Amino acid sequence: MSNVILFNLATVLFGVASGLYLGALYAKNEKIAVAGTWTCVLAAVVSTAALGLRWYESYQMGIGRIPVTNLYESLVFFAWAVNLFYLFVERKYGSRTFGAFVMPIAFLTMVFAVYNDSSIQPLVPALQSYWLHAHVITCFIGYAAFAVSAGVAVMYLLKARQEAAKVSMGVVGLLPGCKTLDDLVYRTIIWGFPFLTTGIITGAAWANYAWGTYWSWDPKETWSLIVWLVYAAFLHARITRGWHGKRAAILSIVGFLATVMCYLGVNLVLSGLHSYGGG
Amino acid sequence: MVDEKRTLPPMDRVWNFFTSVKLAIITLIVLASTSILGTIIEQNQPPEKYHQIYEDWAFALLDRVNLFDMYHSTWFLLLLVLFTVNLSCCTIERFPKMLKIVRNPRTKLDENLEKTLSFSDRWKKKGALSDWTAKYAGAVSSSFAKPKVTEEGGAVHLYAEAGVASRFGVYVTHLSIVIIFIGAIVGNVFGFKGYVNIPEGEAVSQVPVRGGSRMQDLGFSVRCNAFSLETYPSGQPKAYKSDLSVIEGGREVARKTIVVNDPLQHNGIWFYQSSYGQSGGATAKVTVTRKDGTPMGTLSLAANESVPIAGYGTLRGVDYNQNFGGNGPALQVVVEKPGQPSASFWLFQGRPDLDRQRADSLVFSFGGLSSKMFTGLQVAKDPGVNIVWLGCALMVIGLLMAFFLSHQRVWVRLSPGTDGRVEVVLAASASRNRLAFEKKFEKILTGVKAAGQ
Repeated sequence: MSNVILFNLATVLFGVASGLYLGALYAKNEKIAVAGTWTCVLAAVVSTAALGLRWYESYQMGIGRIPVTNLYESLVFFAWAVNLFYLFVERKYGSRTFGAFVMPIAFLTMVFAVYNDSSIQPLVPALQSYWLHAHVITCFIGYAAFAVSAGVAVMYLLKARQEAAKVSMGVVGLLPGCKTLDDLVYRTIIWGFPFLTTGIITGAAWANYAWGTYWSWDPKETWSLIVWLVYAAFLHARITRGWHGKRAAILSIVGFLATVMCYLGVNLVLSGLHSYGGG
Repeated sequence: MVDEKRTLPPMDRVWNFFTSVKLAIITLIVLASTSILGTIIEQNQPPEKYHQIYEDWAFALLDRVNLFDMYHSTWFLLLLVLFTVNLSCCTIERFPKMLKIVRNPRTKLDENLEKTLSFSDRWKKKGALSDWTAKYAGAVSSSFAKPKVTEEGGAVHLYAEAGVASRFGVYVTHLSIVIIFIGAIVGNVFGFKGYVNIPEGEAVSQVPVRGGSRMQDLGFSVRCNAFSLETYPSGQPKAYKSDLSVIEGGREVARKTIVVNDPLQHNGIWFYQSSYGQSGGATAKVTVTRKDGTPMGTLSLAANESVPIAGYGTLRGVDYNQNFGGNGPALQVVVEKPGQPSASFWLFQGRPDLDRQRADSLVFSFGGLSSKMFTGLQVAKDPGVNIVWLGCALMVIGLLMAFFLSHQRVWVRLSPGTDGRVEVVLAASASRNRLAFEKKFEKILTGVKAAGQ
């Protein structure tokens, strides 16, 4: 199917972009980073086209539905969202160094997707609902924001160590200052948090409409709550003496690990209602 | 510092404990980490299943600390109570202070306030103080917000603010959590959840409540007229459909075919498509006609049940094959006539006339197996659910207010200078996102200065 070919092309572009951003850091060459940005833009166009094409192809098959309903589709959608959110941040903050820490997340996600079944399957009855769209899209924008935040938090921890030792050298020396990084970790989370909250709420509303229970402590629900709690802790840590800075950055990374567990781990390791990873 | 803390009266120490943000962080982290346990240990399984997985001592230990139903255990509920108390105390402590600041803003820019503001600029102008006051008030109005004018000791202070709602965001969010908990409690106390199987053609007026032996009276009855299962060409399930009727006082008052994600609601009680199955054994449909073609009717044969045919004998279905000898579904029947040896033969669904070859007085044709189905419905009444949705809506609104609004304040002070000119100070502050406010401040500054040209 042609959508898969486009997704494979996007995977290559994500890889090239990651390489360019990393290369730009090592070579200390802004021109390479600019090439990275344009590769990201191209990847955005290709992956958006791929998603649209996949949506269209599902209609051609007579089972038309939004392409976010199994593991393969959710992975490519996640990578798509990370890439777009990253471009948004890069433009807003005018620094290309973040790319080296964020784009590899999108690239590895796509590589993982390639190893999964990419066929278009019809929707099982439980997924036939308009809530699907609102639920999945809000959740994934949240996840993408958290991915970017965690990438920046890693940069923060590296930079903070150098600033504490009052040295500035190597690749880390080129990173933006701690204050900027700390601010960006926070700014990406305040985008992600309302989206995650909305994602959990739309999920609850959907569950209530499908089963008559808005919360049943199934593993997926519980893990989404865990993610929410970690970021809630982060938001409070930032305004508390002794907790901002390093501890807040660690909470951001822990939050993203919890997100990965919620998104993939629950399906691959635990059992529950969100069965797309089981098959 | 430590000594000072020790000398506080006990009540104050308790209060300080419950109003601290550190407690909030720790409670959030403890809630998050303990919640993991219930996703690793499968919840609410029968004891036999746990015994298969765990050694006796491990089972006893996990059972003792309620880890098999941890989200409803006392200790977990206590954690949630601590969380709520902390949240409420923080609000009680901080909200009145915030309200005071919002209600009685510092409208005068004195020296002390000026020092704390990160955005400020000053200049001098020739002319009358009252003229400049009018010009600058107009400029602040057009570039930011309408200022309040206060005069004190010969100086004039202008004060304008925007985005005050930002200060309320955190309280709206905290309140929303309490509202959601209230909704959950209302639902638990005044609602119920149950599950019921209804065979096709039958009705129920009571449902067993989940997690108990109680039966819940519905106040009406629900009949399942029919259940059907649709599949995609690939064989995957496409839709589970139950045709339901609501019967009140012997009269059908509502009817709806429900599917997953499209429930039926009556008097606040919801019915959700949840499961299905075969109700009792299958029956075989056999159409009987005379040799001359006169129809005699259709029989429904349960497995191995002898059905009498007046003036003929009995007919009994003994076996069924989905694809007998490559000829499709077939039913094996036994005919017993009085005083004659019994005869056994196959009827093919795809060839209804084949039985004529037997040259008997009656011709049988097999119309297929039909099985009576039952539909499995989740039944729920939750009078708290709308309170929960209200809380959810408030939460999103509160978060957006807290994150994306900023309380911005602008002051202008005009005072007579020693050299006869008017001394002007313009200062501003923003409660969040100072980076973005920097640009706005430049704009206001340019606007105000331009008013003097």
